[in-house]
Amino acid sequence: MAAPLELFSWKGSWGLPSVNTECLIVLAYARFAGVPLKLHKTANPWGSPTGTLPALKTGEDGSFSQPSKIIIEFRKQKYNADFDLSAKEGADTLAFISLVEEKLMPALIYTLWVDPKNYVEVTRRWHGDNIPFPLNFFLPSHMRRQQLARLRLIKGNEALEAGEEVEKELYHDAQECMDLLSQRLGSSKFFFGDSPSSLDAHVFGYLALVLKIKLPCGQLQQHLQSLDNLTQFCSNILTLYFPSELDEGPAHKISIQPEASDLDSGPNKKRKQLLSLFFALGAMLSYALLTGIVSVEHVSIEDSRESQDISEGQPGEEDE
Amino acid sequence: MGTVHARSLDPLPMQGRDLGVNHDDMEGMETEQETKQEILENRNIVVQHVNIEGLGRTKEDYLGHEISDVFNAKNLIDVMKRSHDARMKLLRLGCFKDVEVLIDVSEGADALPNGLDVTFEVTELKRMTGSYNTMVGNNEGSMVLGLKLPNALGRGEKATFQFSYGTKETSYGLSFFKPQPGNFERNLTLNLYKVTGQFPWSSLKETDRGVSTELNFPLWMTTHTLKWEGVWRELGCLARSASFAVREESGHSLKSSLSHTMAIDTRNSAILPRRGALLRINQELAGYTGGDASFLKEDVELQLNRPFLFGSVLSASLWGGMLMPIGGKPSSIADRFYLGGPTSVRGFGMYSIGPQSEGDYLGGEAYWAGGLHLYTPLPFRPGRGGFGDLFRTHFFLNAGNLCNLNYGEGPRAHLQKMAECIRWSYGAGLVLRLGNIARLELNYCIPMGVQNGDRICDGVQFGAGIRFL
Amino acid sequence: MSLAAEAFVSQMAAAEPWPENATLYQPLSDEQILLSDNASSLAVQAYLKMCALPVRVSCRANAEFMSPSGKVPFIHVGNQVVSELGPIVQFTKAKGHSLSEGLDDVQRAEMKAYMELVNNMLLTAELYIQWCDDSTAGEISRPRYSSPYSWPLSHILAYQKQWEVRRKMNAIGWAGKSLEQVYEDVNECCQALSQRLGTQLYFFNKQPTELDALVFGHIFTILTTRLTSDALAERVKGFSNLLSFCKRIEQTFFEEADQSSASSLHSKGPSLL
Repeated sequence: MAAPLELFSWKGSWGLPSVNTECLIVLAYARFAGVPLKLHKTANPWGSPTGTLPALKTGEDGSFSQPSKIIIEFRKQKYNADFDLSAKEGADTLAFISLVEEKLMPALIYTLWVDPKNYVEVTRRWHGDNIPFPLNFFLPSHMRRQQLARLRLIKGNEALEAGEEVEKELYHDAQECMDLLSQRLGSSKFFFGDSPSSLDAHVFGYLALVLKIKLPCGQLQQHLQSLDNLTQFCSNILTLYFPSELDEGPAHKISIQPEASDLDSGPNKKRKQLLSLFFALGAMLSYALLTGIVSVEHVSIEDSRESQDISEGQPGEEDE
Repeated sequence: MGTVHARSLDPLPMQGRDLGVNHDDMEGMETEQETKQEILENRNIVVQHVNIEGLGRTKEDYLGHEISDVFNAKNLIDVMKRSHDARMKLLRLGCFKDVEVLIDVSEGADALPNGLDVTFEVTELKRMTGSYNTMVGNNEGSMVLGLKLPNALGRGEKATFQFSYGTKETSYGLSFFKPQPGNFERNLTLNLYKVTGQFPWSSLKETDRGVSTELNFPLWMTTHTLKWEGVWRELGCLARSASFAVREESGHSLKSSLSHTMAIDTRNSAILPRRGALLRINQELAGYTGGDASFLKEDVELQLNRPFLFGSVLSASLWGGMLMPIGGKPSSIADRFYLGGPTSVRGFGMYSIGPQSEGDYLGGEAYWAGGLHLYTPLPFRPGRGGFGDLFRTHFFLNAGNLCNLNYGEGPRAHLQKMAECIRWSYGAGLVLRLGNIARLELNYCIPMGVQNGDRICDGVQFGAGIRFL
Repeated sequence: MSLAAEAFVSQMAAAEPWPENATLYQPLSDEQILLSDNASSLAVQAYLKMCALPVRVSCRANAEFMSPSGKVPFIHVGNQVVSELGPIVQFTKAKGHSLSEGLDDVQRAEMKAYMELVNNMLLTAELYIQWCDDSTAGEISRPRYSSPYSWPLSHILAYQKQWEVRRKMNAIGWAGKSLEQVYEDVNECCQALSQRLGTQLYFFNKQPTELDALVFGHIFTILTTRLTSDALAERVKGFSNLLSFCKRIEQTFFEEADQSSASSLHSKGPSLL
């Protein structure tokens, strides 16, 4: 009997058990398979055994961070949510997981981390508020750089930047993917019958974030909300397997805060702008005064030297 | 101009410079200027010492050659002339910010009665100078950082480093220059660079990373340059709508080439010369020292200038070139010649003459271009003697052709091909000279002989550059 | 391909019929092309044959750099240049040729999902084996990739490409995998495909679709390419229905072009028959 498994995961908000896709996948699978976990909800990735979240700490085998490895570890411990899937369903699982990873994940990375408005107003704010001091000063931007680099490598485009064209392409792929998932799900409760499997965990991991996090540029959310069966699917899993999160309702708190600070930022913003303008002018003036007189003299000497050169040069040229 | 410090302040009738002379002789010099001049001209002297003061890191043996000529002076005026020449030579080395000449009577135990000491007081350039510029252009900005180390090791070596960091691209260049001690015209330059260029007329963008060594030396009246260059070229399409012919050229290639240039320049100035001629012949052979590109390229430039009536200048120029691919591989778009634009055949769009595909100009393997200009000072000569002298009006006639030759046929067929479909243009305009390197032009052009596919710039055309047809 | 470009391409494409001189560009087949590129190219060729659209195959050393997206193969049709199977399928659809029209929604979802499975697992595994396995990279991939270039450019380009692929593997989490694990993943993927294919003729029984072309391209190339070890081919050979599937497609679509040199299969030498 091995020591209980310890899972380190990002903490949740907005009614979700976690704000990170990989953590959600692992948590959902764990709930589906009934894995007895000692859960550590934290906002400090450096506190986890592997340095990133999610992280599973097992007694003997060490620690893992990749969801696929974590799920394999669960299966090794005989907690298998895919137990009664047929071979064909197993094949479909692989296929649809690939579909979601290729089409939906890039768009999710973009909308949470690369899109400037979303990043500043939601992602960075949440991470800034929740990550402990002093990591919250540099960790969000570090994570953003990592995510952008990852997106660039996945898409194979080194010059990828936040922009309308990129956004359109990624969102179109994501919307198509959601449509396909909706078509495959049809009217059933879960993808393969009445009990959830690892595919459900993966799909939930991505869609829950899209559904629950309120973003200023929320096209993905709008599209998802138009697909009733997927919305129902996510809410189902939340009510059935994560009822405690729904009660907390921290979403209200967070959504009010941005408005309040928006009101404040009006006059504050102007004041800040004026202050910075005066500071810049003052700095320039003082620098000019300190070195200004000297530089003026230099110019006059060179001027007279130049005029000497020109006047003595000309006779030489017009020499016939 | 430099100053020659004087013991007495009696002026001399030669460009207002002072001369240091013995006190004893001074009394005799209060007579008329002619007498003074006679005395000075006929006074035989011997230059006993030539000193250089103010040397820091510059090695003395390096300067020996530049100042050696002063010893041969026979009389005072000769001394002044030779020391002036030596001063110019010292300045040209690029090691000194300023050089002042001090001519004095020699003193000391071994001083001869007619002996002179010439001292050059030099101020060395700082060991390292840096510069920082910001440039803003078409939708992009860049930061340029420059670092210069003049006279790095004491014998005239110069190292420069330039780094440009922009929103679209980064480029850098590192160069090392070493002249031969005693013979400044013979020098060696080593370059390491990365340059990116965008060519909208061909929808092409090119990134070159290369290394080159260059040896310059004069031979009789000509200057020769031998250069080896190894470049890693990366070509790409500038836009998705680039033509397929340009798309086919995308990719990487390595060019390793040897080139030789011979130039004879008797003009009195590089920009707007009044007289003289320039002949430059350049050959480049690529492929025999490695690399993918393999060709032989010839390039000729000829310019003749002659003063004409009423202060005007007549100028004729001829350019020509040929590129012969070796070994059956087709030539690359980056090696071919381009023609047209405000700096070559005026009246046509920039490099927009010749073979093209879907609006992208591919360049050609052979070309010729000729120009006939008449430069006159501005009418009514405003601002004469000052600003107005930087301007000229010019009337021009340009012609040229760019095409691909079929190297299987004989020279007669080549000449025939070059002679058909000649593009030409004529017009008039204003030329402004910028320092001694560049010029600006504003012309009114009328292009003629326009062929299918050429892009013309009918009417007013503005041009800025260094080398104009 | 971006949405705007897609729309534009579709508009332009719909205007003209498929020309006779459509060309497909890929790297040099004898000395340069690698396993993954060969698989992608074969998939596109198979797809076009299934649509009965004629295309010539042209080998260029700089095909990868000519391509607008940096990936091979790409086709030059009329004035358009389209690269990779996904956009090519849409391009032919705009011209009125499509293989997947008869599918219902669920089937289409499955087809797309399985195509992503092949891209996500099989193609990534091919790239891993080519560039992250030191012996294959050193003996096969680097020499082949850099063969058209002279020294030292060949070294620079080969190492640059290797570094790029390794970074990508890092980003998607494959960097920590061992070769054995990658072979396991290939096995899993082939098992899934084999499961889905079952005893049918094609993945969606009656007619071949782009999924069939893609699977054929990869499986056939894996089976007929000689690497430093046979482990990869051996794994795939374990699935007999995939083998017969490949043979069937080769016979049906590639044997007809027996005389023409357009088929790169025969110039490669080994075939399944």
